[in-house]
Amino acid sequence: MPKVATFRANSVIYFQGDASDRIFILQSGQVSLNYSDIETGKEVHDLIQTGEFFGVKSSLGKYPREDNALVLQDAQVLVLTVPEFEQLAMSNTRIILKMLKVFSNQLRRIHKQVENLLEKQEAASAEVGLFSTGEYYLRNRMYSQATYVLGRYLTYYPAGKLADRAGKLLEVAESAFMKYGDGKGPAPAMGGGGAAPPARATKQEAAKPAQGQTLSDTAKEYYNAVSLFSQEKFQDAFKEFKRIAESGEDPEYVPKAAFDMGRTLFMLGQYDIVIRHYTQMVQSMPKHPDLLDILFFLGQSYEKKGDTERAKGFYKKILSMEPDEDAATHMKSRRALKKLEGGGNG
Amino acid sequence: MADLSTFARFAKIYQPGEIIFSEYEPGDAFYLIQSGSVRITKIVGDLEKTIDILLPPEIFGEMAILEGAPRSATAVSVNQVKVLELNRANFEVLMMGNPQIALRLLRLFTKRIYDQRRRFMILTLDDPQAKIADVFLMLDETETAVGNEGESSERREFKVTLEDVAHWAGMSVAEVQTILGHFQNQRRIEVFPDRIAVKNINDFIRFVNTKRKKA
Repeated sequence: MPKVATFRANSVIYFQGDASDRIFILQSGQVSLNYSDIETGKEVHDLIQTGEFFGVKSSLGKYPREDNALVLQDAQVLVLTVPEFEQLAMSNTRIILKMLKVFSNQLRRIHKQVENLLEKQEAASAEVGLFSTGEYYLRNRMYSQATYVLGRYLTYYPAGKLADRAGKLLEVAESAFMKYGDGKGPAPAMGGGGAAPPARATKQEAAKPAQGQTLSDTAKEYYNAVSLFSQEKFQDAFKEFKRIAESGEDPEYVPKAAFDMGRTLFMLGQYDIVIRHYTQMVQSMPKHPDLLDILFFLGQSYEKKGDTERAKGFYKKILSMEPDEDAATHMKSRRALKKLEGGGNG
Repeated sequence: MADLSTFARFAKIYQPGEIIFSEYEPGDAFYLIQSGSVRITKIVGDLEKTIDILLPPEIFGEMAILEGAPRSATAVSVNQVKVLELNRANFEVLMMGNPQIALRLLRLFTKRIYDQRRRFMILTLDDPQAKIADVFLMLDETETAVGNEGESSERREFKVTLEDVAHWAGMSVAEVQTILGHFQNQRRIEVFPDRIAVKNINDFIRFVNTKRKKA
């Protein structure tokens, strides 16, 4: 049972540095929590209100007291052990919620203070950090992790200074994942390495390391178009892809280019044409290796047009299919579906 | 465990090895593990370090309740993991109905406030040697709290690496190495591959106190 204790004026309920195992509620009198502000070093006096808890943080967090609890006027306090406090709180969730709010404010404040200090010391921003994290995973051939992180980079920083490189590395990661699976395959071609972005898309180097020197002309044209795409020169890329797809010469690059035509159109915001193009492709090439991505782009296009029902249908279709070829598309679809369904609730 | 059946619509399943969120990614959700285990990692230098492995009913990613601050670590599913994904909007409803979870979060917050405050105090020391000594004091304070109190010896051992110390002190690994080497020469510490021993913790307490301004 919680006990009532009486403290005389000028006595101290606990000292800074004391082990913390009791929580107090002030019932009458005056108690001040004294400590020096960690930022300014100035002495701070926080007066406790009647009915207010004190000593909660250090007791729950199991660390030494951070302040002196000084009695200013004879005080009566209710003394609780941690289990007693927890029992009380469990029967009155409002107490916890109120404290959560107070603590989260304190946490936000101290977090900001630490950030400010660190910012002076660490140059690396979140943007660079996210990119480097993706790069790390790719270097270590953790392709699905790299795909996730680089994809996030492009989501959050579509026009970021590393977006171009992130896009290229993402392609490397995706194709290496499809080709070799996580943890396997040769060391991925990371491109520039330093600050200078590589001139060309590196996807093909990773995917076809052995054929590097014997690329056909169509292949070269195709890679050139991929490069244009990753430089966001979508109009030019589209023209190239279209030419390759319509030439019908190369059995390997025609379907690839046909697929890329669609995603280039998507980037150009031509959602109706994307839908027409990919719908036709699904019918004419039902075994296309990028089928899942095609379905995803169809979903995305319908979503862009505001047809969420059709969009959901495509995402669900993807999730019902075998994920082994490209787990990333499943991941993306699940998220997209979640977003659409979540949006309906809130 | 609390009755969470009404929160089924927030449930998410992750396959083994799937990233739940990545370090540096902005976040607005936090997670409650219902089944499976989650590895919390950070890339330090050129190594992915496991910081923690979490099991049901632990909470992670809770800093996101505060603001869309970038994630400070990566969360990856170890096996098939089922989590409840929560955000500011549904958080209060969940807490009202599940005081146990609210209490767990409250405890987590107290710990975080302490960590951050302590980190702040370390970072504001001017003397690099004092910074590092204070990292050990901080580690000691939390370890003391979990029941080493009876220990009469002034010697303390910490399962930390150079990178950990560098992280807490906000210094480079090279700087930390130099200073630890210096402490070692003074026979104040011993460095092992998996741990660092402080020979006399009170010596460090005195040392840091002389360097802390305005105390």
